[in-house]
Amino acid sequence: MKARRNRTAFILAFLSPAVLLYGLFVVWPLAQAFYLSLFRWRGVSAKKTFIGADNYIALTQDDAFHIALKNNMWLLFVGGSCLLVLGVLLAHGMQSNSRGVRFLRGLYLFPQVISLVVVAIIWQFLLNPSYGLASKGLEKVGIHGYGQPLATSSQALTAVGIAFVWYAVGFYVMLFSAGLKQIPEEIGEAAQLDGSAGWHRFWKVTWPLLWSVKRISTIYIVINVLNIFALVWVMTEGGPNRATETLLTLLYRTAFKESAFGYGTSVAVANFAIAMILAAILMFIYRRSPEERRA
Amino acid sequence: MKRFLTALGLTLFGLTIVVPLVWVLISSLKSGAEIFSTPWSLPSGFAIQNYENAWKKEGIGPSFLNTLFVTLATMAILIPVGSMAAYIFAKYPFRGSKILFGAFLGGMMFPNFLIVIPLYFLLKSLSLYDTHTGLIIAYVAYSLSFTIFVLTGFFQALPNELAEASELDGCGHFGTFWRVMLPLARPGLIVVGIFNAIGLWNEYPLAKVLLNSSEKRTLPLTIVDMATNQQYSSDWGALFAGLVIVMLPVMIVYWFFRDRIHETMLAGAVKG
Repeated sequence: MKARRNRTAFILAFLSPAVLLYGLFVVWPLAQAFYLSLFRWRGVSAKKTFIGADNYIALTQDDAFHIALKNNMWLLFVGGSCLLVLGVLLAHGMQSNSRGVRFLRGLYLFPQVISLVVVAIIWQFLLNPSYGLASKGLEKVGIHGYGQPLATSSQALTAVGIAFVWYAVGFYVMLFSAGLKQIPEEIGEAAQLDGSAGWHRFWKVTWPLLWSVKRISTIYIVINVLNIFALVWVMTEGGPNRATETLLTLLYRTAFKESAFGYGTSVAVANFAIAMILAAILMFIYRRSPEERRA
Repeated sequence: MKRFLTALGLTLFGLTIVVPLVWVLISSLKSGAEIFSTPWSLPSGFAIQNYENAWKKEGIGPSFLNTLFVTLATMAILIPVGSMAAYIFAKYPFRGSKILFGAFLGGMMFPNFLIVIPLYFLLKSLSLYDTHTGLIIAYVAYSLSFTIFVLTGFFQALPNELAEASELDGCGHFGTFWRVMLPLARPGLIVVGIFNAIGLWNEYPLAKVLLNSSEKRTLPLTIVDMATNQQYSSDWGALFAGLVIVMLPVMIVYWFFRDRIHETMLAGAVKG
C-alpha cells in the first residue's frame, strides 16, 4: 500500500511541472483562440462583443484573405512540387555512404539550421538589383534588364517561393534518402533480373515503394507552407500590394498592426482548419500501402 | 558517364547552398564600397571594423548576450522538466497516461501562430509581456512536446531490469531516475538539448510578438531591424558581419553534431 502511494506521489511530482506549463501556456491559449474568434475585439477587455460566426463570414468576403489563401496554395502546389521533385532526385543520386555523399547531405541541411530570418535577409541581398549576386552574375554573362523581383507584383511570390525551396529542400532530401534506404535490396535485384532499369525501374518499382515517405513529406509540406511567416515578413512584409501576403502575415498584420484581435484569431483558426483538412485528405489518399491495395 | 552526371548535379546543387553563405562571409570582410562595386570578388583586406560596428554600434553585442541568456535559461528549465515527464511516460504507465502523452504530442502538429494572440494577452495579464521571463516560459512550454517525444523514446529503450535491480539495491524511484536512468539517457539529453538550442537561437515570430523594448531584443529581431534600417544608414559591411554573427555559432554546432541531429530529425518526422 505504501509502495503504491509512493509511486503515485512520484508520478505526480515528476509530471506536474510539465503539465502545468503546457496546460497554462499552450492548451489554455489554444482553447482561447477558438473562443476569441467569435468576438469583435480590439484588445481592450471591456469592449469584447460576441458576434458568433461573423468573423468567419467576413473572412469569406475579405479580398485580403482570398489573396493570402491563393498565395499559400500557390506556394503549396508549386513550391511543394519542387520540394518533392528535388528531394527525390537528389536523394536518388545520393544512395551511397561515401564521404562525398555524407558531406553533401550535411551541406544541404545548412539552410535549415540557420535562422529563417537570416535566410530571408540573404535572399533579399542576392536579389538586390544594385549589388546582389543575381543581377551582377546575369550582367557578367551578358543578360541585362534585371528588375527588382521583390518589388514587382508579378515576380515577388516566385522569388519568395525560390527562397522557401532553398531553405526547405534539405529536409526532404533527408526524408527520401531514409525512404530509399528502407527499400530491400532483393527488390532492386529482382527488378534488375526482370530487365527493369533506369527511368522505367524508378517509376514502376522505386516510386510506389516510397509510399510512406510520400505521405510524411506531403503532410510536412502542408504544415511548413501554412506556417510560413518569418521568411515572407522579412523579405517583403507581404507586399508589394499583397502580392506575397500569406495567411500568417495577414494574421500578424490584422492583429498586431490593426489591433483587430478577434478577426486575427479567426484567420489563425482558419489557417489551422485548412491545414487539418489538407492533412486529412493526404492521410486518406495514402491510407494504405500499395501492396495492401493490390491484395 | 551517368555516375559523373549524378555527381555533377549533386555538386551544382551543393554550390547553390554554399555560394550565398560564402558570399555573406566574404562580404562581411569588405568595405562598403567594395560590396557594391565588386560583389563577386574577394575582399582586398580584412575589414574587421565591420564586426566592431555590428557588435557595438548596431546593438548585435547586447542582443547576442540576450539570446545566449534566453536560450540557456530555457534549456535549464526545459531539460529537467521534459526529462522528468518523459521518464514517467516511458516507465510509469498509469490510467490515462497514453491520452496525456498524446496531448503533449499534439503540440507538434499545430503552428505556434495559432495561439500567439491569446498567449500575448495571457503574458500581458501576468505582467510578463516584454520580459525575458515571459519569453523563456513561452519557449519552455512550446518546446515540451518535441522534447518529451524524443526523450520518452530514449527512456523506453533502457531495459527495465536496470531499474528493478537498482530498486532492489534500495534506491527509491527518484534515486533510480537520478543515479541510473538519467546518466544512461545522456546521449538523448545531449541531442535534444542541441536541437532545441538551435531552434531557440533562431526563433523569430514569438520573440517579435512577446518582446518590445530594444534592449531586450534577441538576435533575430535585431538583425531584421538592422536590415530594415540599412536602407537609410547603409553600413552594409556591418550588416553582413551581423549576419555572420547570427548564423556562424549554429552552423558550427550543427556541423559537429550533424549525424546525431539528422537521426533526431528523422525520428521526429517519421514517428511524429
